[in-house]
Amino acid sequence: MDDQACPRCKTTKYRNPSLKLMVNVCGHTLCESCVDLLFLKGSGACPECMVPLRRNNFRVQLFEDPMVEKEVDIRRRILRDYNKREEDFGSLEEYNDYLEEIENIVFNLCNNIEIFETNKRIEAYKRDNREVIQRNKTRVGRDEYALEEMLELERVQEESRKKELEELEIEHKKKKARDKQALIEELMYSGKDAAQIVNEFAEKAEKQREEEKQLPPPKPATEFSTGIKFGQTADPSLLPVPKSEEGPLFVYEPFLVLTEGPAPPPPTEIEAKGYIAHIRGETPQENAGGFTSTIACERALQEALQGLYYTPTAGLSLAT
Amino acid sequence: MYPVSSQKRSWTFANEGQLMAFRVEQNHKYVEEHEEEAQGGDLDEYFLTPSEERLLLKQYEIYLFDFCRRFDPPMPKCVVGTAFHYFKRFYLNNTPMDYHPKEILATCVFVACKVEEFNVSINQFVNNIKGDRNKATDIVLSNELLLIGQLNYYLTIHNPFRPIEGFLIDIKTRSNMQNPERLRPHIDSFIDSTFNTDACLLHTPSQIGLAAVLHAASREQENLDSYVTDLLFVSARDKLPGLIDAVRKIRIMVKQYQQPDRDQVKAIEKKLDKCRNQANNPDSELYKERLRRLYTDEDDMPAEDASFHIADVSSDTSAMNISQ
Repeated sequence: MDDQACPRCKTTKYRNPSLKLMVNVCGHTLCESCVDLLFLKGSGACPECMVPLRRNNFRVQLFEDPMVEKEVDIRRRILRDYNKREEDFGSLEEYNDYLEEIENIVFNLCNNIEIFETNKRIEAYKRDNREVIQRNKTRVGRDEYALEEMLELERVQEESRKKELEELEIEHKKKKARDKQALIEELMYSGKDAAQIVNEFAEKAEKQREEEKQLPPPKPATEFSTGIKFGQTADPSLLPVPKSEEGPLFVYEPFLVLTEGPAPPPPTEIEAKGYIAHIRGETPQENAGGFTSTIACERALQEALQGLYYTPTAGLSLAT
Repeated sequence: MYPVSSQKRSWTFANEGQLMAFRVEQNHKYVEEHEEEAQGGDLDEYFLTPSEERLLLKQYEIYLFDFCRRFDPPMPKCVVGTAFHYFKRFYLNNTPMDYHPKEILATCVFVACKVEEFNVSINQFVNNIKGDRNKATDIVLSNELLLIGQLNYYLTIHNPFRPIEGFLIDIKTRSNMQNPERLRPHIDSFIDSTFNTDACLLHTPSQIGLAAVLHAASREQENLDSYVTDLLFVSARDKLPGLIDAVRKIRIMVKQYQQPDRDQVKAIEKKLDKCRNQANNPDSELYKERLRRLYTDEDDMPAEDASFHIADVSSDTSAMNISQ
């Protein structure tokens, strides 16, 4: 990048960081300010090869090598006319010959070989194939149109799906409100036991929820948004990541509290039977950490009772 | 949980005979290895006998307790209990002739502070030690890994303090005893005296705790027998004799404890100065030489470089004199 310099005013990227190099069809570079200066009138000659140029043909140089820039430019121009497709030919051989010809033309124009003859060839081709060229141009337009149509279709589908969901939600809310109202009315006017009514309603609600669950899931999409069917893009060169060997699955074993002593009272009894009254209450800080005095009380009781049944067994040896 | 702890699995023993066997074995091993040092003299005269070792360690357990009691900032009880555990465990596997108890004592307390989350820095710690503090720092830190290794890396200690709290809660809740809080001073003094015995190597912390509670109750002319038989062991009467036996043994152990005779211990310490393993004595030439080699091997520095404390230790033998 250091030697990006304007050939005319010799400014470099280093001296002028905002330097913008422009290139025209001839493939010679000029910096933006030189273009402004030389092509004040809208057209002029390239200072290097004296080819007449127009100002609005100048583009920002994308590639470092101006020759690449030139080739890209030429190729674009040629392909505008040479727009036949494989379907337009009788055989693959003919199509390949045609592609070869395009490459030849591009190469010739790039390297200034037989420019005159080549240009003549292009003209002749244009004349002979005017109809085909015109037709293919519109066909390209049609392809684009089809793509747009597909996007539109997708958007509509998306919208209708959203609407459906919203309606479902509203329906659901309404139903809930209705059920609630029904429950209240039942409670108010019927002579049955209140607990029983509540139970009945809860059961009904449960059943309904299950029914809803059984609704068929939305049809899985079969194609990408681009219209490509799933599975068609699978590239054989891109193998899936090999699955790593997995160890045996984790099996949960419930935690077993060994006491070897009298059973300590369960946490529910610690409060109910008044154990908790004999221990300091937890501070707010301790509570924030998740500790309650019940836990401390339970632990003290557990530890008091653990190992009370212990009797020494002979033959224990020192671990070494 | 105590029933699945390493303390129960590896550090609770059947009887005092077993403990004695370990200690005698360590003593014999040391005497065999260092036999030539006696230069043909009477081995019993030159080396400590197992019973002399016991007396010495008993004296150092008293020092250990005093050291913990005077510690500044005051340390929680569980640190003391844990330090005692470490000290007793260490000398099951080692003899005081190999590692001097005054060094191991401080290291035990230091490790116990860490394990029981009683946060003191090494500087704060050595401030409690009279004598050369730099030297004490070196001794404690260099012995720390040795101690942990000798404990087989089993550092969790189940002390009887939490079980005692549990018993008190249970007694307050279920029995009709008046004001159980007045038992506390007796319980504390009982637990303090169990530290001087081998109870913690023979019984579970809950048994020791219960023994303390029962002892305190009898001191207050209360009787908790009905609490034990009718409430605690109501569903397991067949286990009761085992517990009664354990409690009785613990109380006898505490009762039979005798303080070692001061003059006797002084004589033993004198003997120890001669027969102790010089390779582990920070004042000996052998030890300094070993360290020097260790340091020079590491970074090829001349041994005269005084960048480490050990090399410039004077002949001050009173370092770490916790006993005074």
